[in-house]
Amino acid sequence: MSYTRTAQYAGRRQQSWGRNQNTTRFVSPVKLGPVMHTIIVALMILVLGLIYLTQASGSAAYDYQASEIDQKINELATKKADLEVENARLSALETVRNSDVAKAMTQPQSTQYVR
Amino acid sequence: MFSIPRHITRSQLLAILLTGAMVLIVFRLFYLQIIQHEYYVALATDEQVKRLEIPANRGMIYAMDGDNPVPLVMNQQVYTLFADPTVVDEPKKVDEAVRSVAGGNLVVEDVLSKITDKSSQYKVLAKNVTLRQAELIKEKKLKGIGFQRVSQRVYPEGEMAAQTLGFVNYEGKGQYGVEQELNDRLTGKDGLLKSVTDVANVPLSIGKDNIREEPVDGDSVVLTIDRNIQAKAQETLLAGLQRSGATHGSVLVMDPNNGDVLALADFPTYNPSDFTTVTDEKVFRNVATTEPYEPGSVLKTFTIAAGLDRNAIEPDSTFYNTDSIQVNDRTITNALKGVTGTVTMQTALDNSLNTGMVTIAQRLGDGKEITRGARDTMYDYFHNRLGLGERTGVQIANEQPGILISPDDVQGNAVRYSNMAFGQGLDVTMMQVAAGFSAIVNGGTYYSPTVVAGHMDGSQLVREQHAKEKKGVISAEASAQAKEMIHQARTGYTSTDLPGYYVGGKTGTSQTLQDGEYISTQTVGTYLGFGGDDSQSKYVIMVQVSGENMNLEGNKHAMPIFTDLSNWLLGYYQLQPRA
Repeated sequence: MSYTRTAQYAGRRQQSWGRNQNTTRFVSPVKLGPVMHTIIVALMILVLGLIYLTQASGSAAYDYQASEIDQKINELATKKADLEVENARLSALETVRNSDVAKAMTQPQSTQYVR
Repeated sequence: MFSIPRHITRSQLLAILLTGAMVLIVFRLFYLQIIQHEYYVALATDEQVKRLEIPANRGMIYAMDGDNPVPLVMNQQVYTLFADPTVVDEPKKVDEAVRSVAGGNLVVEDVLSKITDKSSQYKVLAKNVTLRQAELIKEKKLKGIGFQRVSQRVYPEGEMAAQTLGFVNYEGKGQYGVEQELNDRLTGKDGLLKSVTDVANVPLSIGKDNIREEPVDGDSVVLTIDRNIQAKAQETLLAGLQRSGATHGSVLVMDPNNGDVLALADFPTYNPSDFTTVTDEKVFRNVATTEPYEPGSVLKTFTIAAGLDRNAIEPDSTFYNTDSIQVNDRTITNALKGVTGTVTMQTALDNSLNTGMVTIAQRLGDGKEITRGARDTMYDYFHNRLGLGERTGVQIANEQPGILISPDDVQGNAVRYSNMAFGQGLDVTMMQVAAGFSAIVNGGTYYSPTVVAGHMDGSQLVREQHAKEKKGVISAEASAQAKEMIHQARTGYTSTDLPGYYVGGKTGTSQTLQDGEYISTQTVGTYLGFGGDDSQSKYVIMVQVSGENMNLEGNKHAMPIFTDLSNWLLGYYQLQPRA
């Protein structure tokens, strides 16, 4: 099967090679054997493991923060409940009755009704 | 002796040994990880995963203050302060700190000797220490001091409505009153936290089977009890008992137009926060619902209502009173003698004539005898229509039904029913009587009494409809007539009511039974009445006073308590007197 490039297309490719591409194949002088490959794979696994551990410990750190916030919420809820109890005690009938304001009150002499 | 074949090199031998060791390890790992998988997973889960219970808050209990709910029972987190003397290194500092911060909460007198006595590692020094106090002590960083958190019920109003509320025991269960009756509703549902935790029990999110179920707090219940009326009822009851010398008393205030119980006061009483100091269990009981008794002449209002509704009598119907009346082999006499001759039913009620009530019972039959038909009619009114002798369903624990003998029973004979006509020969609770009486004075609708107005949704009261109503238990006309007769019965007796209001009531003095016989050395005084303006009765009050070996009377000892409370209620409801 024959394949023919158009003149226009061939001209552009040649122009591009000339400007952006190496026209020769690069061959590294360093050769990696099977041992080196194994070490690299092991290192990659190690790095991935470290990344996982970092993430996991990071999430545990959030757990501690959440736990501290929960504790704070509990403390505040307890304080709120204490204040509500104190408020109820201060507005209890017995407390009100024994207050200076209540003691200073007098019975009305007469009552007028609006009809 | 084992010898190595010559054709196997040392390196081959090493390889074989290593392979063998590897095979052993693989088998061991297979055993541990595959065969024993479930066992070790369970072991690890037990170690790492904690199940923490998140306690639900018990619902609070509110009373009404006019139209606003106010707390009667609340929850508070408090701490028990303890010391481990084997760890305490600065006893004097501990003593000083504990005394200065929590001196009022100490449960031991000599703190210093307690914390230097190393015979025990757990010494409780103070109880009910607040969070603030605990924080102040913690700031001092004292060694050997610890806190144990507990939730407790607190009662800002002290003894108020103690027998209606009940209390919560050390197991967290409601005892007596509303606390027991509505225990399930108040308790709520504990939550659950199942999670992997660290050594400090901090939940971590790394587990795959973590569960967090939020607790559901118990309902905060709002009672129909009005704290102002309750406080006044307790105050007037106490004052009345001091005047009379009676040792026991109860007051029940009810709204006759819907069955709401506005106050339930009992004496002797107690503070629910100190329930452990109570030595007599009877003090815990709500007398109005748990102790049926013979109420005496206050039940004449029921007989009058039945007679009027059946057109057996009119207020001015007459009968011939000879101060005694024969029923089968028994002669029934009046307590008050001398009002003889032809008298009206109004006079019979005014003077509490037993003969008049027996006459009504007879007229419910053939007019001469308390026939089976008359007894069936009385039972229908007393039990079926006005609720005597059965539990009312009010939400207070241990409510008793009392005893109302049916005409079907062999004991439900004419003599029994002649006694019932004036309030003897039956055992009923104050709650039953007040609810039935409410129907008599409200136009003829029976409302089953309730102490629950609703529940709180945040800070809003959500009203609940608990009361069952039975309309037309007596006709509106009979109700109006009965009410007027009861009004006349009171106004003819006393002039202590505020002028311009419509107040009525009936006394009751009942003998007590001892070993099946009535004794003359001990009577219970009762008063039952209503009050309001001309248009409507706003309240029904029932008062009971008693004492061992004391003859207490309805008019002398119970009625003044009614009068004091009634006059105060007229002002409290801001009712205008007629001009």
